[in-house]
Amino acid sequence: MRAGNRHAALLFLAALIPAASVAAAPVGDGMGHVPERLRRLLLGALLYEGGPAPQAVRAADSTGPTVNPSRLDQPVRLERELRAALRKPISATRLTVTGGTARIGAYSVGSAETIHGHLVILEGSAEVHGRVEGNVVTLDGDVTVFPGGSIAGDVLAIGGAVHRVGNGSISGTEQELAAATTVPDAQPVPILTRIVGRAAGLTGLLVVLLVLGLGLVTFGRPNLEIVSDTVAHSFGRSFLAGLLGQVLVLPTFGMLVIGLALTIAGALLIPFAVAVYVLVVVVTTIGGLLAVAHAAGERVSHRRMARGVSISPNSYRYIVTGLGMAAMIWLAWIIFGWVPVAGTLMLTAAGLATWSLATVGFGAALLSRGGMREHFAGRLISPEMMTDEYLWATPQFGVPAVKRPEKRDE
Amino acid sequence: MMRTSILLAGVAGAIGVVPRCTAQVMRTFSASRPVAAERFLHVTLDFSGGTLVLLPATNGQLYGMKLSYDADHSSPVQQYDPRTGILRLGVESTGSNGIRVTSRRQLEQTARVEFSPDVPLVLYANLGAGDASLDLGALTLTELNLHGTASRASVDFSRPTLGVCKSATFTVGAAELDVRHLAAAGCAAINVDGAVGSVSLAFDGAWRRDATLTVDLSMGGLTLKVPRGVAVRVAAERFLAPFEGKGFVRAGNTWTTPGFDQAPQKLRVELKAAMVGIQVRWIEP
Repeated sequence: MRAGNRHAALLFLAALIPAASVAAAPVGDGMGHVPERLRRLLLGALLYEGGPAPQAVRAADSTGPTVNPSRLDQPVRLERELRAALRKPISATRLTVTGGTARIGAYSVGSAETIHGHLVILEGSAEVHGRVEGNVVTLDGDVTVFPGGSIAGDVLAIGGAVHRVGNGSISGTEQELAAATTVPDAQPVPILTRIVGRAAGLTGLLVVLLVLGLGLVTFGRPNLEIVSDTVAHSFGRSFLAGLLGQVLVLPTFGMLVIGLALTIAGALLIPFAVAVYVLVVVVTTIGGLLAVAHAAGERVSHRRMARGVSISPNSYRYIVTGLGMAAMIWLAWIIFGWVPVAGTLMLTAAGLATWSLATVGFGAALLSRGGMREHFAGRLISPEMMTDEYLWATPQFGVPAVKRPEKRDE
Repeated sequence: MMRTSILLAGVAGAIGVVPRCTAQVMRTFSASRPVAAERFLHVTLDFSGGTLVLLPATNGQLYGMKLSYDADHSSPVQQYDPRTGILRLGVESTGSNGIRVTSRRQLEQTARVEFSPDVPLVLYANLGAGDASLDLGALTLTELNLHGTASRASVDFSRPTLGVCKSATFTVGAAELDVRHLAAAGCAAINVDGAVGSVSLAFDGAWRRDATLTVDLSMGGLTLKVPRGVAVRVAAERFLAPFEGKGFVRAGNTWTTPGFDQAPQKLRVELKAAMVGIQVRWIEP
């Protein structure tokens, strides 16, 4: 029989039985009036949706699970405790309720009945026609207070709902904690799409840097070469300078603003100074990164030439080569970034490598004062290396032999 | 040939592999309590992140809350002591993070909170990251303390509040605060304490009583919208904080509208601002 037909038949049978006196007892307990008991059994069958058979829960021993429903202000914790107490078969569940009782399955409080203490219903709904002087908790069940019924305390329905019918009353707080619902994230992007998207992003960034780099070579080659040489000849020093520079960027900015604010004329210059400062930092960072690419490209080109490869050594080639090498750092992440743990590691490694290169470039730009100071570029011979030999002119046709002075006779 | 096939199959397999998608566990929680014989309600509302809506209750509830929260990172809070009238509501991050947001998913949380208009209310609201819309109109508000960390909060007194409001304090971290119909709040003292943010205070609505506004802002913008006809006196201690307002007579660090002492409706502003743009705009009634 389909569920709908079964319900209709049971409801019809229940209606046929004359309503007895409203002095009802909890389902399965007491010795109520026979027609009323029959009616209740039918209604119980109607409400029965495959849940456990109604029964009382025995108290656990001293080491067994205990719940205290006198305060229902931590419903998640209470749910955890109740679920932990459940056993299979359900009849094997043991639970001590401080100041109350526990039951399994559907439970009904008769209209002439008063329950003193808290009521915990596991895997079933509670119907209250009478009075409960305490809190009511259901786990995976509803709480329904029918006309004339009342609950003097709080109500918590975990995985269920609280209903009041007519003048059924709840004096305390009603709480409903719904079952957890898993909300899947948005449709995951196919791996190929991710790879293509990231590759497109990298290509775009590369093109922008390439345009900036080629422009820098065209319009500021001397400065770029000095910063690049500083990277090549003072790599460690540039990194340290860059690190220090990054730390000091914000304090310097603050000091600049405060220093300007101290004077009336300076205060007017603050917006301009802020814009210029930000611009200088950005240009230094990007220019430094391009100088690192230039240095790397130059090194690679020289090695290829040393191997006999015929290429045209120029700054344009260096920039292109260097940026290509920088892109290689990210290529591994683009291709394998979707791998759960390795992808994160690759992203971290690529980020760290890029940051290191940017730090070196930033430091080199600082050390060389934006490509105006060659001190760290390895281009000058230090004064200590200078000797008088460099001051002597070398005769073009050799030095004529000088006859050794003869010994004079004493 | 065989190797090529295997290679192609491997590549196709790799491309076809979809990473295991993570899922978010959301739960709903609701709590409500009918009005009994409460003399007042002292509420602490904590909301770690997401969207919060606060309204006056219309169905005889003392308070009500409907919450959808990220069960992996948050847990609902509902503690009420009927003897003291102290209520704690909201959602907080699990662990020792308080109301701090520890997951981007917490921003998808939603809460709808209601309070009875019949019971005197002291409200302390702590908002984490997210959006908050609070309509406190028609509540019997006696004290308001709103603390926004990194949130966008909109507070409206759409109808005049009831009772005597002692003070309304807004503390903003890096937040955006927009308060409307502040005149209808009827609070004697209004305090704004902010670090970095944008604050807009509109004193429109039914004017209940004269008010003193104290503002201490560090960086950002402050806009005061005042109905034309209300007399305003602004005493400002400023540092890099330009004052922009028409219709004021300046005397030192004080800006006053003409006829202030005789005006029936007065707003006194005590302002401490550093690197803040201050604007006073007049609203036509």
